[in-house]
Amino acid sequence: MSTDTNPATESTESTEHTPPGAKPTSGAPGRDGIRTGMRPDRQEPTLPTLGAIGMLRWGWRQLTSMRTALFLLLLLSIAAVPGSIFPQRNIDAGRVADYIAQNPTSSPWLDKLGFFDVYASPWFSAIYLLLFVSLVGCIVPRTKVHLSALRSRPPRAPARLARLDEHAEITTSLSPDEALSAARAVLKRKRFRLHSHDATSVSAESGYLRETGNLLFHLALTGIIIGMAVGHLLGWRGDIILAEGDKFASSAGTYNTISPGPWVDTETLPPFVLSLDQLHVEFNETPGRSFGTPRLFDAQTTLQSSPGAPKSSENVSVNHPITVDGADIFLLGNGYTPVITVKDAKGSVLYREATPFLPQDGNYRSVGVIKVPSASPKQLGFTGFFLPTAEPTFTNGPVSIFPDTNNPEVALSVWEGNLFPGGAPQSVYTLNTDEMKQVTKADGSPALIRLKPGQTYQLPGDRGSITFDSVKRFAGLSVRTDPGAPISLVSAILATLSLILGLTIKRRRVFVRVRPAPAAAGDGPGGPGGGTPDGPAGADGRPATVVTIGGLSKDSDPGLAAIVTAITTGVHDRLAERTDRS
Amino acid sequence: MNLAANANAALYASMIVYTLAMLAFTWHLAARAPKVADSKAVAEVGANEREGVLVGSGAPTPAERRPATPYAAGPGFEESLKSRQRGSIALMLTYLASALLVASVLMRGLAVGRPPWGNMFEFATAAAAAVGAAYSVLAKRNNWQWLGVFIVTPILLVLGLALTVLYTEAGELMPALKSYWLGIHVSVAFLAVAFFTLAFAVGLLYLVRLRREEKPPVKPTFIESLPSSASLERTAYSLNMVAFILWTFTLIAGAIWAKQAWGAYWQWDPKEVWTFVIWTVYAAYMHGRATAGVDHRKSMYIALAGYVAVIINFTLVNLVSTFVGMHNYSGM
Ligand code: HEM
Repeated sequence: MSTDTNPATESTESTEHTPPGAKPTSGAPGRDGIRTGMRPDRQEPTLPTLGAIGMLRWGWRQLTSMRTALFLLLLLSIAAVPGSIFPQRNIDAGRVADYIAQNPTSSPWLDKLGFFDVYASPWFSAIYLLLFVSLVGCIVPRTKVHLSALRSRPPRAPARLARLDEHAEITTSLSPDEALSAARAVLKRKRFRLHSHDATSVSAESGYLRETGNLLFHLALTGIIIGMAVGHLLGWRGDIILAEGDKFASSAGTYNTISPGPWVDTETLPPFVLSLDQLHVEFNETPGRSFGTPRLFDAQTTLQSSPGAPKSSENVSVNHPITVDGADIFLLGNGYTPVITVKDAKGSVLYREATPFLPQDGNYRSVGVIKVPSASPKQLGFTGFFLPTAEPTFTNGPVSIFPDTNNPEVALSVWEGNLFPGGAPQSVYTLNTDEMKQVTKADGSPALIRLKPGQTYQLPGDRGSITFDSVKRFAGLSVRTDPGAPISLVSAILATLSLILGLTIKRRRVFVRVRPAPAAAGDGPGGPGGGTPDGPAGADGRPATVVTIGGLSKDSDPGLAAIVTAITTGVHDRLAERTDRS
Repeated sequence: MNLAANANAALYASMIVYTLAMLAFTWHLAARAPKVADSKAVAEVGANEREGVLVGSGAPTPAERRPATPYAAGPGFEESLKSRQRGSIALMLTYLASALLVASVLMRGLAVGRPPWGNMFEFATAAAAAVGAAYSVLAKRNNWQWLGVFIVTPILLVLGLALTVLYTEAGELMPALKSYWLGIHVSVAFLAVAFFTLAFAVGLLYLVRLRREEKPPVKPTFIESLPSSASLERTAYSLNMVAFILWTFTLIAGAIWAKQAWGAYWQWDPKEVWTFVIWTVYAAYMHGRATAGVDHRKSMYIALAGYVAVIINFTLVNLVSTFVGMHNYSGM
C-alpha cells in the first residue's frame, strides 16, 4: 500500500511492486521510477486537455490528497491563534467592547475581518469545512482499498529479495520443502497471513490492523465533528443570576439570557424550580501572592423537577454540576446583590430590590445600576460601584481590597431624566444617560453617594432618599444541554484507541524463497559445503538449499530485523530437530 | 522541618546535582569527538555495516543513500573507554538529580494534600521532573548519553526560572482546580511535554547531523559520533508519536473536565486554543512524515514549530494578560 493515499494512485498501483514499505525514500534504487509514477499531484497539471469533468476530478483529487490535508491542518492551526490573542465575543463580549473602544482605528477592520469572532468567521469555517470534506473524501476510497486489501493475498515475492530493507540468505541441508515449511511455521506463529504463489516461495503479510486503526481514527474524527454539530443544533444554554433566598422557575422567558440552538423548541424546556438557599464562599486570607484568591464556592439549593414536585436539597459547586431532566446546572459565577431601597420625598417605597452588581476584578469591585422608573417628576437612575471591602480613603477612586464583605460599601452617582429613550430594551447592567442629567447638590457639584449597610442618603432637592439595607450574595448559574456531547465523547475515545493501533502496529511483508544450493545440485568441483561461509553445516554436512528472506516495513521498524532473524533461527532449529531424531 | 520545606530542600539539591550532570555530559561529549585519524576507521566500519553482509541495516532515508561521507559513521562509531566512563558518571548524576526532583514534587504534593501542580511554579517543577524522569528511564537502554546535556540544561533553566520568577507558597487550590481530573489531565500533559521535549532535542540534533552529513566539516566533532541522521530522525519520530498519543489524551481529558467545570467541553478559551494548535501542528507533522514526497527534514521543521507552540502554551498563555481566559491558575 502506498503511503501517499491519493485514492487514484492507490487503486491503480501494482501491488506486485509496491510492498508496504515502498516509500520513495526507502532507498532501493529500482523504486524511484515507481515513486514518480505514484504522485500525479507533483506533475505539472496539464490543464488544457482536461476538460470540465477532468478539472473537477483533478480538483477533487487535489483536495483529498495527503498534501492538502497537511496544508489545511497547518492552516487551521495558524488560523486558530488570533482567537487566543484578540478578545472573543463568545467568551467575553465586554472585553471586546473595551478593546474596540481602546483601539478605534484598527478595531473596525479587525471586526470586519472577524477577528473578534474567529471561530465563527467565514475564513475559519472555510478551513475546517474543507478539511472535513477532504477527510471524508479520503476515508471513503481508503476504506474501499483497505477492505479489498483485507481480502487479498500477499503479493508474489519480488525477484531480488536482497534489495529489501531487511534481508538474509542462508544455506541449509534441509530440503527446499522442509526449509520452506520451517519458515512458514515461524511466520504463522508471528500471525502473518501466508500465501505461496509457487512451490519455492512464500509471501507473508501482517499488520492489517494498522490501516484499520488509521481509518477508524479518521472516521472517529468525523464523529467528533458530527457530535459538535448536533450539539450546536439541538443544544441550548440559559444563564441566571440568582440572589440568596430567591427562586427561579425555568421557562423560555425567565432566563437572564438564553441561547437556544437553531433546532431547539424553547417551549419544551424542562420546567424545574430552583431556589438558592445559601451561597457559601471562601477566599484565601493568608497574606502573600495568593491573598484573596477563591478557595470555595458552594451553592446550597432546593430543587423541584417541576412546580409542585417534591423538593430535594442539592449542592451545586464548581466541578459538581447537578442534572435535572437532561439539563445540567453549573455554578459558573458569583457576586453581590446589595439590597437597596429608594423612597420618594413622602417616604413611600419606590424601589426595594436585591440588585446584582457584576464583579470586575479579583477583589469583586462590582458595577451595577438601579433604575427607578416610578420616580417623579423625573425618572431616577443610580449607577456606580459595590465594594465588598472598600479601601476607605478612595484616594484611587472606589477600590476593593478583598473579595469578601469585610467593609462593604456602595458608591453611586444619581441621574434623572428619561431612563428608556425611544422605549428600546436595554441591559439591566447599564444606564443609558443620553436623555439624563446628573443630579447635583445645592452647590452645583455632582451628588456622590457613599453608603454602608444600614445608612441612608437624602437626595438633594426633595427627590427622596436611598438606603443600603444589606448585602446578599448571588450565584451565576448556567443551565445547559448538549445532546451531541455523548457522540463526540465516544468518538474521541475511539479516536484515541485507534490512534494507538494505527501508530504502534507495523505493516510488514516478509518473503521467503528457497532454491537448491548450486553445489549440491551439481555436485560440482567446489564439493559439498564449499563456499557458503554463512551456511551451517547440516547433519550430513551437505548444504542442500539456499533460503533467501526479505522483509519490508511501512516505516521505521526495529522489529522487522527480529522477524528475519527468527526465520533464520527457525530453519536452523528445524535442522537441529531432524538431527536429534535421526 | 515540614514537608514543604523538605520539598524545597530537595529541589535545591536536585539543581546542584543536575548542574554536575550537565558538566559531566559536556565532559563526555568532549571525549566523543572522533580524532581525525580515527574517523577513517570509523567510516570504514560504517560502510561495512551499510553493505549489510548478512542482515541489512534499517530503512535508509535519502541522507543515507548519499555517498558515504567521511564521518557519516554513527552506527559504527567506537566509543572510547574515557567517553563511556564519563557518560556513565553523567547518567548516574542525572538519575540522582531526577530522583531528588521527583521526590521534591511528591513531597510538595503531600504537603498540600493534592496533586502538586496547581500554579505556575508547580507546573514548571513538575514538568521538569517529568522530562528528567523520562530521560532517566530511557537513556541507558538507548545509549542516549549524547543527548544528556541537551535535556539537563533546559531542565536547569526551567527550575531556575521557577524558583526566581514563579515561586508561590504551597497553598490550597482554586475551586475550578478541585477535581480528580487535575491529577489525570495535567499529569498526562506533563508526560506528553516530556516526550515532546526529548523529541525536540533529538530533532534539532538530527538537523545538525543531516547538514553535516551533506557538507562534511573539516574537523569532526561529537556530532559525527551521533547515530546517523536517519536513525536520529526515526528516534525523534517515535518520541513524537508517543507524545502525540499522550497529547491526544490530554486534549480529550481536558474537554471532559471543561464540561464538568465550565459547562461546555469546548469554548475556545486560549488554553484550549493552544492545546488544539499544538495538536494540529503535530498531526500535520505526522501527515508530512507519511506523505510521499515531503522530505523528513521539512516534516521535522513542523514538529519543531509544534514544540514552540508547546512552550508558548506553558509560558505566554499562562502569564500574559492578552491570553486571559478561564485557565487563570498561574498563581501570579
Ligand atoms: C481532520 C483532519 C485530520 C487529522 C487531524 C488527521 C490526523 C492524522 C494523524 C494524527 C495521523 C497519524 C496517525 C496514524 O497514522 O494512525 C494521520 C495519518 C494519516 N492520515 Fe490523517 N488526519 C486528518 C485528515 C486526513 C485526510 C484529509 C487525509 C487524506 C488525504 C488523511 C490521510 C492520512 C493517512 C493516509 C495517514 C496514514 C499515515 C501513515 O500511514 O502513517 N488524513 N492523520
